[in-house]
Amino acid sequence: MKEFFIEGLKQFFDYSGFANCELGNLIMIVVGLIFITLAIVKEYEPMLLIPIGFGIILGNIPFTDGLQVGVYENGSVLNYLYFGVLKGVYPPLIFLGIGAMTDFSALISNPKLILIGAAAQGGIFAAYAAALALGFTPMEAGAIGIIGGADGPTAIFISSKLAPSLMGAIAISAYSYMALVPVIQPPIMRLLTTKKERLIRMRPPRAVSHREKVMFPLLCILLTAFLVPTGLPLLGMLFFGNLLKESSVTKRLANTASNALIDIVTILIGLTVGCSTQASTFLKVESILIFVLGAFSFVIATTCGVLFVKIFNLFLKEGNKINPLIGNSGVSAVPDSARVSNVEGLKYDKTNYLLMHAMGPNVAGVIGSAVAAGILLSFLY
Amino acid sequence: MNNIKHKLLTLCVVLLAGTTLFGQQVSDLRINELLIKNDSNYVDEYGRHVPWVEIFNTAYNSVNIAGCFLTDDTTGLAAGDYSNWYRIPSTDPTTLIPQRSMLVFYLDNSPLYGTYHTNFDPNQSSNHYIALISSNGKTLIDIFHYPANLANVPQSFGCIDDGISTIVDENGKTVSNMAILDYFTPGSTNKVHVGATKSEHLQKSDPHGIGLAVISISVVFAALIMIFIMLKIFGLVSTRKDRKASQAQAATAATADTTQATAAKDGPTGEEIAAIAMALHCFMNSQHDEESEVITIDMPSKHYSPWSQKNLVMKKVTRRR
Repeated sequence: MKEFFIEGLKQFFDYSGFANCELGNLIMIVVGLIFITLAIVKEYEPMLLIPIGFGIILGNIPFTDGLQVGVYENGSVLNYLYFGVLKGVYPPLIFLGIGAMTDFSALISNPKLILIGAAAQGGIFAAYAAALALGFTPMEAGAIGIIGGADGPTAIFISSKLAPSLMGAIAISAYSYMALVPVIQPPIMRLLTTKKERLIRMRPPRAVSHREKVMFPLLCILLTAFLVPTGLPLLGMLFFGNLLKESSVTKRLANTASNALIDIVTILIGLTVGCSTQASTFLKVESILIFVLGAFSFVIATTCGVLFVKIFNLFLKEGNKINPLIGNSGVSAVPDSARVSNVEGLKYDKTNYLLMHAMGPNVAGVIGSAVAAGILLSFLY
Repeated sequence: MNNIKHKLLTLCVVLLAGTTLFGQQVSDLRINELLIKNDSNYVDEYGRHVPWVEIFNTAYNSVNIAGCFLTDDTTGLAAGDYSNWYRIPSTDPTTLIPQRSMLVFYLDNSPLYGTYHTNFDPNQSSNHYIALISSNGKTLIDIFHYPANLANVPQSFGCIDDGISTIVDENGKTVSNMAILDYFTPGSTNKVHVGATKSEHLQKSDPHGIGLAVISISVVFAALIMIFIMLKIFGLVSTRKDRKASQAQAATAATADTTQATAAKDGPTGEEIAAIAMALHCFMNSQHDEESEVITIDMPSKHYSPWSQKNLVMKKVTRRR
């Protein structure tokens, strides 16, 4: 009798997290706690960092294999939820919500700003080349490079297709740097611009008609999807969401897409991506390299955007010139990078509001990164 | 009339049954691949490297192989003497082979190990064939002849195209479609295309990623330039339309002004000014929200949930008087 109870207690202890805990689990749990602290105290992207941070904690609670509780164990609840990440279901749904909440007026009224969104994608391909040089395979390099697009859902979508084993590190890296946009971008912007350039006042955007707003998603999907069909899941959902918003006859659908749906998917994607960072799969040299490459791609993307505006200005007439401080907004961290442009602009001229102008390249960056993702898929998948 | 109906119905039932039976025919099964010298390849459920044979269902419907025989010695076929052959058990549901699928049997002379372990071993046989015989013990479904030296070759032998043992060549001659295969494919198609993947090709032709970067950035620019051109054209058309509309409005307003100017040469009268002021007042008021104009005394109420209302869930402390 006594032996039975002792054996039972021993078995219970073997099943518990204390018996299975390793140093890696503890490190990852601390990382999760840091994420949650940053989100609550510093308010860095709380909508993302809290689910991801909590997911990291959940994913690193030690357990015995075979209990069907882990995210990588077939049949577990977390595994079912993770299916949406693994098969690229969640990112297009997030794009639907983004489309339904994005106003493309700034872009429609000043179309030349869209080219900044293209230039800033240089970060993706610079990181791709750097990852190849560091010994990653082309598929892994493609998945890492997309961090430079500064678009979490796109990064998850591409890594789920090209390098599922690196998805945790890529997603965490992408979201971390998106949260750190106000820290990373301003020094580069100041370094690459003169005081005179920072004071450039841009022409106010013209009013955009309802007809133009409705036609925009329709024409854009036809143009981009025919050129890069592999980007269809992301681009299709983005422009579909925008049509729901701009058509003005599907307000209920647009409201759901831009509120309830995107909130639900954000919770699921954040939590499950966090869970996927189990110490055994996450704490590797590759993860550190991915973080380094992610920072590099952000720097290059910002540099490309700012330098492109400076070169573009050489061909523009006086009065039509673009303030190079909005060059950083070409990365698609909406609306953080546009906000950074505005804050930096106000530092040099308290009446020069750049937010509306910066939103143009910012949303162009969303389109640009989705197109770039499509190209990577067509070359590598 | 009723008689004809009954006959038609019977005919339909017979045809349907016939089709079903035909669909389930074991004659669609073929021996597809054989490996005798298994040094480091496929392992059975006991972790052993033993010879194996693969049966392929060529039909587009499921076929149950249960009850059929596998043997390396067809002696007694004419007499239906199957005492030395391996009969596939009919009690195992996994013997149902789905359409265009394969099933692997181990030729290990260990029939007690399970359904898929036969009672013969080609290493111990001088007959260089494997035969699949139907459950009646008399109908030969397929016989698979293999080279005598296969026992010394660590490669499998089988149909180049699944289930097809002979083909007609360009000269119209029937030739064998069997060969020593380059790859072992137990349980899957023999037609394997092994080549470099897309990304491996890319790594070879563009080791530094510069080519991909240039092409990709060009495509991104091309896509966004197309949108830029479209928006530019769209903007021009829209602005022109708006300009035309505003010009038409301005013209209408100008005509109205001329009429009014003629009428009020001596300036507006006091009544006219009062009317304009009244109109403006009404207009400004119309901008305001319309109120309900009902005044009530209604106690504000909030719906609390017992989950969040502390006074409902907490124990009340008794007061001593």
